Amino acid sequence: MSQNRVDEYRRKFVMALGGTAAAVTVAQGFILREANAAGEVSSRPLDKAVTSDKRWGMLIDVTKLTDGGAGMVEACKKEHGWGNEADSDEAQKTHWARVVKVTDKLTKNSFSLPVMCQHCEQPPCVDVCPTGASMKRADGIVQVNKHLCIGCRYCMMACPYKARSFVHEALHDQKPYSPRGMGTVEACNMCIHRIDNGQLPACVEAAPDAVIFGDLNDPNSTLSKTLKDIGGKQIRADLNLNTGVRYHGI
Amino acid sequence: MTSKFSNILLAAALAFAGLLAGCDSAPPPTNLATAKQKAEQCVEPTAEMRRNHMGMLMHQRDATMLEGIRTKQHSLKECVNCHVAPTKDDGTPLHYGDEQHFCTTCHAYAGVKIDCFQCHADRPEVAQDPNYQHTVGSAEGHHFTQGVTAAAEPTAAEVQMVAQPQQGAAK
Repeated sequence: MSQNRVDEYRRKFVMALGGTAAAVTVAQGFILREANAAGEVSSRPLDKAVTSDKRWGMLIDVTKLTDGGAGMVEACKKEHGWGNEADSDEAQKTHWARVVKVTDKLTKNSFSLPVMCQHCEQPPCVDVCPTGASMKRADGIVQVNKHLCIGCRYCMMACPYKARSFVHEALHDQKPYSPRGMGTVEACNMCIHRIDNGQLPACVEAAPDAVIFGDLNDPNSTLSKTLKDIGGKQIRADLNLNTGVRYHGI
Repeated sequence: MTSKFSNILLAAALAFAGLLAGCDSAPPPTNLATAKQKAEQCVEPTAEMRRNHMGMLMHQRDATMLEGIRTKQHSLKECVNCHVAPTKDDGTPLHYGDEQHFCTTCHAYAGVKIDCFQCHADRPEVAQDPNYQHTVGSAEGHHFTQGVTAAAEPTAAEVQMVAQPQQGAAK
């Protein structure tokens, strides 16, 4: 019965996506503005293992983020319940995503962008993990398996994006779909629970006009087409990590 | 000498009997009230769940973390959804340290620490539909649709390969 409900939901969603895809085909060019559904979602059944056929990624158009990404960060906080640790000081508090302000020293030109786990194809955090807790799933999502994490924080040191943080205090009343606990490292997991259930990540839903989410492996996905049209920059592209999160307008 | 020894033995036996009489011989009843309001039967027979729930949870945990399998049959979240009430009788939040918590009723008796809830939510979200529960014994467990029953038959070549002794193997 509940399986049927899920199917019904997916059918509706796929139909809605079809509508958006048509709009995109008509309006070539400024695709970012038209793609209000903010990209494709997973249609994998809940009982099938993930494969490497898909690689999830997103493109963030910084020029369309009026708040510099603060809304996306807030949505993440609300979804996963981080950032309100009572007994941790500012440096200790967890951050899954943060707003970074960049200013050109010469021209004083300045802009803000949200920075979270970039979901690298070659993640340094996975290389250094002594227990295998820091892992990349087959579909490209980088996450911490907290069952194995011993809290050594090597991955925090290895990450060039400062994406990971450490939980310094005992927590209670966590979200049922986002377990978090003292002594483990955590970071953006691209809302893995939402992706598996055929939904968009919380931050993408919070900024549907500025972010496109989708499959980087599929050349026909809205994300891949947009990347082909307007390009997308990686932060620290010199490290050759092939990040799954790309930016436009930086 | 012998009688002194047997006296000591007798005294020890009596003391032990007294100790046993002081204890409850049966485990306390588990708090099944919440679950019974919602379902006739658990996802597996009760005896199976009592003995093997930790194995099921461990298996499901790895399937979810590594492969993204999110079936409901053996998921900890679904256990909590059905078995644990969000609040105590007086309306305050129910946590796993409280005696009333379903898991704690038995774990306290058995003297086994529960590590799950250091990270996992120990009660359902209050916002969630209180009568929500998944279908029991339906295709919500991943072994119903894939895995052992759906495994492909080995080919003749594979059977032969397994049957033949390996070269250099101990005779």
